[in-house]
Amino acid sequence: MKPDDFEQKLSRQPMRQIPGEWRAEILDACRVSSVERREPERFLPSTLVSRLSTIFWPHPKAWAGLAAVWILIFAVDFSMRDTTPVLAEKAAPPSPEVIVELKQQQRMLAELIGAGQAREAEVPRFLPQPRSERVEIMMT
Amino acid sequence: MKMPAGLDIERLYDEHARPLYAFLLNFTRDEADTRDLLQEIFIKLAREPKLLAGVREERPFLIRLAHNAAIDLMRRRGTRERTKENFAAEMVSPFAPAGDPDEKVFRDELAEALAELPEEQRAVVHLKLWGELTFEEIAGALDISPNTAASRYRYGIDKLRDRLRPIYEEMK
Repeated sequence: MKPDDFEQKLSRQPMRQIPGEWRAEILDACRVSSVERREPERFLPSTLVSRLSTIFWPHPKAWAGLAAVWILIFAVDFSMRDTTPVLAEKAAPPSPEVIVELKQQQRMLAELIGAGQAREAEVPRFLPQPRSERVEIMMT
Repeated sequence: MKMPAGLDIERLYDEHARPLYAFLLNFTRDEADTRDLLQEIFIKLAREPKLLAGVREERPFLIRLAHNAAIDLMRRRGTRERTKENFAAEMVSPFAPAGDPDEKVFRDELAEALAELPEEQRAVVHLKLWGELTFEEIAGALDISPNTAASRYRYGIDKLRDRLRPIYEEMK
């Protein structure tokens, strides 16, 4: 496709020139960007400190106040700790008399339960019978 | 500081920055946006040198990057209509200032007429007339077929011809 006069006229219009100072600025940006990409950030104590300082620096009084409150909470908690020994640790082993008494009570309880069971065994139980036999009983 | 081995970003800049600038300026009509996009493209190349590995023709490839970056910017900015409205108010001409008054009028009219073209036609017309690319290269750069590139060029040129006919006839 051969361009006509009009197209040639258009193509002869010169385009605006790129500002010369952009070259240095853009190439510098490229260098910085490529170096940042090649050197991934390593974990160093100084990095940690700088990161912490960026967190704490904006409101140092607020962070110091928060730390003081926590110290106070720990101090109060420590001072109010219960130092009395546990009751179970304090109790002495039972004496032989107490053991004999307990065994006697256990024996009596067993006897009472046994008597109750014997009485229950004596109670006549209702046994289901045919209706005809029930009528006979009533007649007699 | 040195660039990574294997990528000569300075050579790329010296060979391609000028046409990329013209293309982007014709797209955005804003110096600051054009600078941002140009820097974005070269930083991308500096950070990912492998992007150019296996690329036979650098210019169409870079035009493609520029076109995608410009489209992304337009989308980020909002609607195309809003940008067109901005063109009328504060657009920067992509053409060099002219000393001759008649030439100045013609260039101003041409800049306005180009701004009124749909983006896809404007891109093809620009790359054909001022980027000196073939339709095959334009097709590769804009991810369209050569026939589509040719038809967009024809539609765009016809609109420019209609718009600029009076002043063009007067200057002949």
